Amino acid sequence: MRRCFFLKKMVLMLAMGALAAGTGRGAFAAPASVSGIQEYKQNISTQEYEKRYNAVYGKFTGQMAEQGNPADFMLDDGKDLFKKVEGTTGKSCASCHGENGEKLKGVAAGYPKYDPAIKGINTMALQINRCRKENMGAPELKYESYDQLALELYVKSLSNGVPIKVSIDGPARPFYEAGKAYYYMRQGQLNMSCAICHVKYAGHMIRANLLSNNRHHADHWPGYRLKWGKTGSLQKRFRGCNKKVRAKPLPFQCDTYRDLELYLTYQANGLPVAVPGFRM
Amino acid sequence: MVIGRIKIRVPSVIKKGEVVPVMALVTHPMETGLRKTKDGKVVPAYFINDVDVFYGNDRITHCDWTYAISANPFISFYLKADKAAPLKIVYKDNKGGVYQQSVQINPR
Ligand code: HEC
Ligand code: HEC
Repeated sequence: MRRCFFLKKMVLMLAMGALAAGTGRGAFAAPASVSGIQEYKQNISTQEYEKRYNAVYGKFTGQMAEQGNPADFMLDDGKDLFKKVEGTTGKSCASCHGENGEKLKGVAAGYPKYDPAIKGINTMALQINRCRKENMGAPELKYESYDQLALELYVKSLSNGVPIKVSIDGPARPFYEAGKAYYYMRQGQLNMSCAICHVKYAGHMIRANLLSNNRHHADHWPGYRLKWGKTGSLQKRFRGCNKKVRAKPLPFQCDTYRDLELYLTYQANGLPVAVPGFRM
Repeated sequence: MVIGRIKIRVPSVIKKGEVVPVMALVTHPMETGLRKTKDGKVVPAYFINDVDVFYGNDRITHCDWTYAISANPFISFYLKADKAAPLKIVYKDNKGGVYQQSVQINPR
């Protein structure tokens, strides 16, 4: 399992320390700030943000997403990959999960989630690679490679329209807190946290960009970005935002990023899964 | 990413003589020739510069494109669907690549 040691230590110490000091073990159901982090109040409601977005940029991204999202090609390829036999067991994803993935309908809405087998947070990307390795005897796909994204996109698209329902109860809680701690940790030469831009100052302009609030951040990835000229994942976005404040980006699917993904996806609870996304 | 894959979208039901929107998407890197790699080498220009649209035997529209068009370009236009015929879009790039696809228009 990939780890990002230097950060993990810091973040988990923060979370665990507070756990031990505050509520004690097992008291996972305790409300709000078990990690001792006071979350900022959302600076702007999602409706208000959307109004502002349309005033600043117009409606063209929405239109482009509907009429011609280049990620649709990747979605088609993902469907083919799902049925492609690979590995030593002579199986394809479809052999176990239904010809058109029927058995995986709605599943992605519950991801990321805690998995006792890895004693950590399981993301869709990770789960697909685990299935390839353990159930198909096929090599793991390199994260952010075309095929990896295509499969993830296809499996997630099977849950399109299903409201996101991520659980942070029980054993998932410390990982959620670790994700939150990372979100609120100042980092990089500019010494800013994710939360400063995406909660406290959401709705403000940062040079030519309008800062979004984090409610809608995790419901539409993998998605196509005009700036990238290609389709990428949520974690690629994390890396971009890390670099923006001149912090060191972390490796894909390392434990800190998976915790962060859990934290952000929880913020999107109740919103329908909508992949592939389309952003500037 | 495979270069030159095309998706053409037209309404599923078309009445004869109706003016319908046509949308088409093609995958292409559309390199401007102005970009450099990290070690300073110029990335050669590579972009679609010629688009032809045929409806049956007629060429109904033509575009001259430059490097100013985005990667994976999207076009949309309107078509007066007055006959049953294939609608064919042909893209050509500056390295001699030709990519084409057609959809059958069947007005009722
Ligand atoms: C040999 C059978 C087999 C193959 C082949 C296989 N899987 Fe799985 N998959 C499983 C089993 C067993 C589980 C765990 C059971 C469960 O949690 O429902 C699972 C779980 C999953 C889950 C999570 C389901 C959930 O409810 O959380 C996803 C998503 C998934 N597989 C995707 C894939 C993809 C994509 C492929 C192809 C790369 C694939 N699987 C190939 C057997 C298989
Ligand atoms: C300096 C301010 C700044 C910081 C700090 C920052 N971001 Fe961003 N982020 C932006 C801007 C600007 C955008 C693009 C416009 C938008 O959607 O807000 C963006 C976009 C995003 C998006 C995509 C939103 C969407 O709608 O698709 C995600 C996800 C994201 N950031 C996550 C993070 C995470 C996680 C961190 C902390 C590691 C972080 N950001 C830190 C400025 C920031």
